[in-house]
Amino acid sequence: MQTQMERSDLTENEKMEAFLARIDRGEKIEADDWMPDDYRNQLIKLISMHGISEIMGALPEKEWVPKAPTLRRKLAIMAKVQDEMGHGQLLLRVAEDLMAPLGKTREDLMDDLFTGKLKFHNVFHMEAPTWADAGVIGWLVDGAAIITQTMSLDSSYAPYARALHRICAEEKFHAQHGESIVLDLAEGTEGQRQMLQESITRWWPSLLMFFGPPENGNVTSNQAANMRYKIRTQTNEELRQAFLTKYVPRIFHLGFTLPDDTIHFDEANQKWVYQQPDWEAFKQIVKGNGPRSAHRLNLRETSYEESKWVRDAIMSFGRQAG
Amino acid sequence: MSTETRNDFFIYEVFSQKNVTASFAHQFSLLAPNKEVALTMARENFLRREPCFNLWVVKRDDIFGLTPEERPFLERLDNKSYRETKGYGDLQSRWRQHKERYEDQQKQAKSGS
Repeated sequence: MQTQMERSDLTENEKMEAFLARIDRGEKIEADDWMPDDYRNQLIKLISMHGISEIMGALPEKEWVPKAPTLRRKLAIMAKVQDEMGHGQLLLRVAEDLMAPLGKTREDLMDDLFTGKLKFHNVFHMEAPTWADAGVIGWLVDGAAIITQTMSLDSSYAPYARALHRICAEEKFHAQHGESIVLDLAEGTEGQRQMLQESITRWWPSLLMFFGPPENGNVTSNQAANMRYKIRTQTNEELRQAFLTKYVPRIFHLGFTLPDDTIHFDEANQKWVYQQPDWEAFKQIVKGNGPRSAHRLNLRETSYEESKWVRDAIMSFGRQAG
Repeated sequence: MSTETRNDFFIYEVFSQKNVTASFAHQFSLLAPNKEVALTMARENFLRREPCFNLWVVKRDDIFGLTPEERPFLERLDNKSYRETKGYGDLQSRWRQHKERYEDQQKQAKSGS
């Protein structure tokens, strides 16, 4: 977009004060507004990670299309894959506009993904060997994503909030798609119920990890900065507690168990008490040393190479059309 | 791996119209090498479920707008009530008074006769 010359007769400090005052008044920041480098960098990190995770999640999910048991399930999975790719595109656009003043593009994000600098969500580094995993991912992973994304609907960064409004509406459909698979299996044969139980057990630690390490009374500087800037409004642990409140009872209602005998709701403190997952393992997983990390990155590379002819065709048409 | 460059891609802003009487509304933006591809991608990216009657894509570079510093001047001073219905809020009660006075007169005339 073109605009007239920017006038800037304020000092950096005055700009920072005015910026924080806007945040405090609940105003929203746009891509071309002045913002502190720290705010810009926090947003780039968060939104590019979110965007690339949508794509890294869609790639293994599309592998289910030929294996899904009915035509309706195949169509629903295809629709979900298309949605996730669409979400990735929305979010990458938001990240690109933030990176533009730094001279960086989508290409740089892709390079960062392959060098391991750009992380993607822990859940997409994990194995999903059975059809029950497809259901559990839709029900509980998308369910967890809805909880974090709903928190950010009121983000101080307006383009991210606008993208999330579109995304959340579609994630609800994904969660319902997952619930439908899960309920079919839960109401099915002994073998189907066993497959679902194994999947819940397999995914439990990853679901706890999804929200990030707990603060234990000391919120990390990253979280604190993001809360100061109103990029996020809740801590990792608050989000995890909301997830447990919503989903643990439902898992029990279906007659399934969790791989944690200690989990219970502490009425006195109004909090879920549960066994912590292995946070050292979490660090290794998001670093790219998870069970399927290399395979998933490889899927990304293959899909990029295999669709090269499409890009070439579009580009040659683009040049002709001018 | 990323040897292809994206220098040939442009940012397009997408606008769509829900039905024939609705105004065009901004949806989002996308990257495309030309306007035809942009139009196809706009449908794929933003209109998988929403009803849509018509669709536009506009190259972002072709949009001329205000800087963040200029935008606050869009806010209007709240002293132009003569331009708005709220500047004429007394009309209804005045019409009612006239109607009631007239009806009272009619009633008195009837009972007096």
